[in-house]
Amino acid sequence: MSDKTYLSEMKEIRVDENSPLFDKTGMLYKEFPSDYRQIRYFTLLIVQSAPLEIKEINLLEQQISEVIKNAVKHGNQCAVDKKVRVWYSFDSTHAHLIVQDQGAGFKDLEKWNEFNKKRLEILSAQDFEKLSDFVSFRTLKSDDNDGGNALFAALEYWNGGFVFNDSRNAVAMLKSFPQKKHAIG
Amino acid sequence: MELKIRKNGFNYIIDVNGEMDLYNSYKLKELVMKMLEKKVQRFIINLENVDYIDSSGIGALIYICSTIKKMNLRLIITNIHGSVKKVIELTKLMGYFPITNSIEEAILQMED
Repeated sequence: MSDKTYLSEMKEIRVDENSPLFDKTGMLYKEFPSDYRQIRYFTLLIVQSAPLEIKEINLLEQQISEVIKNAVKHGNQCAVDKKVRVWYSFDSTHAHLIVQDQGAGFKDLEKWNEFNKKRLEILSAQDFEKLSDFVSFRTLKSDDNDGGNALFAALEYWNGGFVFNDSRNAVAMLKSFPQKKHAIG
Repeated sequence: MELKIRKNGFNYIIDVNGEMDLYNSYKLKELVMKMLEKKVQRFIINLENVDYIDSSGIGALIYICSTIKKMNLRLIITNIHGSVKKVIELTKLMGYFPITNSIEEAILQMED
């Protein structure tokens, strides 16, 4: 039996420099050298400003760490003199981030969207044999430590959008957290 | 991350303790490859004590799962919970991985 939910909510990575997600007004800022060994430490420096009300802080940390890793490794090619710049703002309702590197930009973005579209079609058909070829996005530059799956989860997690600038070396993202419903009356 | 192997009949249970992240997920991959060289045929990967996984960890599990499937051997991943489960769900791989809720259930499935 096919599962249409995968297709009805087909998402893709967008390129839109004019997206409101690139508005940095009121956001905090940090910058880091592209030191692969310190990616999780840098992530913690950012996540520590998130309010305690945010549930699943581990998941938020993991999702931010993936974006910083992409900037350090794929963007700046781990060149320590190249910086990763991060703008961020958190409250109990949302997490908003912009991560920019000094690299050549995400050249394979269209290929990635195409790959993800096929992946979602296969998931919809629940063809788990065929899915084996679509569990990991690889490029010629991928190495054994690249899972090739980070952006699949990112697109689902960042429910308010995941958008690149025109030169594709900056990505802005928004997560809205579900709010507790108050009883009426 | 710490890895321990224990044996239950023909099943080899790998208990993973700690975080499966970009710095250490390769260790699980290496361990399973070594066990395959030693002709181990039935693997149970126990994630009861794993509270954090990232795309490298998911990548390691995908690599292990596809290698074992290609060799027609058996693998079950068990005790997935919390944010580890969330990340696998976000990646839409819950149907791809052979998963059980407990080691007991995994052992029973291995007998089928």
